[in-house]
Amino acid sequence: MAWAPPPSAAQLYRPNRFVSLPAELDPATYDTSPEKLRAETERLAIRSRLKRQYLLQLNDPSAPAVIENPALVRWAYAKSQNVYPTFRPTPKTSFLGAVYGLGPLLFWIFVLKADRDRKEKRIQEGKLKRSPFSVFF
Amino acid sequence: SEMSKDMMPGPYPRTPEERAAAAKKYNMRVEDYQPYPDDGLGYGDYPMLPNKSQYERDPWYEWDQPDMRHNWGEPMHWNFDMYIRNRVDTSPTVVPWHTMSKHFLLFLSIMLIMFGLGEIYPAYRPVGPKQYPFNDLYLEKGGDPNKEPPTVIHYEI
Repeated sequence: MAWAPPPSAAQLYRPNRFVSLPAELDPATYDTSPEKLRAETERLAIRSRLKRQYLLQLNDPSAPAVIENPALVRWAYAKSQNVYPTFRPTPKTSFLGAVYGLGPLLFWIFVLKADRDRKEKRIQEGKLKRSPFSVFF
Repeated sequence: SEMSKDMMPGPYPRTPEERAAAAKKYNMRVEDYQPYPDDGLGYGDYPMLPNKSQYERDPWYEWDQPDMRHNWGEPMHWNFDMYIRNRVDTSPTVVPWHTMSKHFLLFLSIMLIMFGLGEIYPAYRPVGPKQYPFNDLYLEKGGDPNKEPPTVIHYEI
């Protein structure tokens, strides 16, 4: 009878949302293939081009006071101004909007109302004295 | 700022040409560029980078910004401000996460159950009320010194 192969170290590790797989266990970081090498060289080319632009601005004697990072500008724009144009009401977004928008409101309405009703009932029954300064009960 | 509109993030790319243009805009390879799924949640064409914190990046490489471990012009993660080194850290742990959480939850639950049982079924030696000297501390409790205090005897012979 053939047993299944024992679980690999990466499978035993079980990376999740909070921890990632260490590079030593990740088969994608092992022996590189020509495609991976080409991909790495392309990434290196992009990175060196950007680094050259940055270092030219950094070591410029007539330097601008602040070297603007387009990636940062794009990130800030995407998070603040690009959300409304790209938002689209779908079943999922409407449901999430209802849950996050109305959910806490309704929850606290019911909790506070129930609490105050219970307190009023206890005051009417005489177990609790109505405080002299309170406006509500 | 001075950047033109086509340098800024835009809507979700539908055609391959739009994808290539978006990858070029974000300084990424076309094969690497993967936008967030088009759920209408407001991501647009922003690239979906792996959810790894800045802790995982090589500490010995000469980054342009060493504290952020970020290079100039490199696309930033959507949650970049969460993944900085002062905040969330997703670096691999020595012990796997499921083992750690199992140990912790087991310990916590066993301790809580034992404490709960101790509250429900308390176990201590028999105790009686505390006995004070000097006629139950008559003078210290403000008794009149001219009057005779009531005698309090705590023993039996």
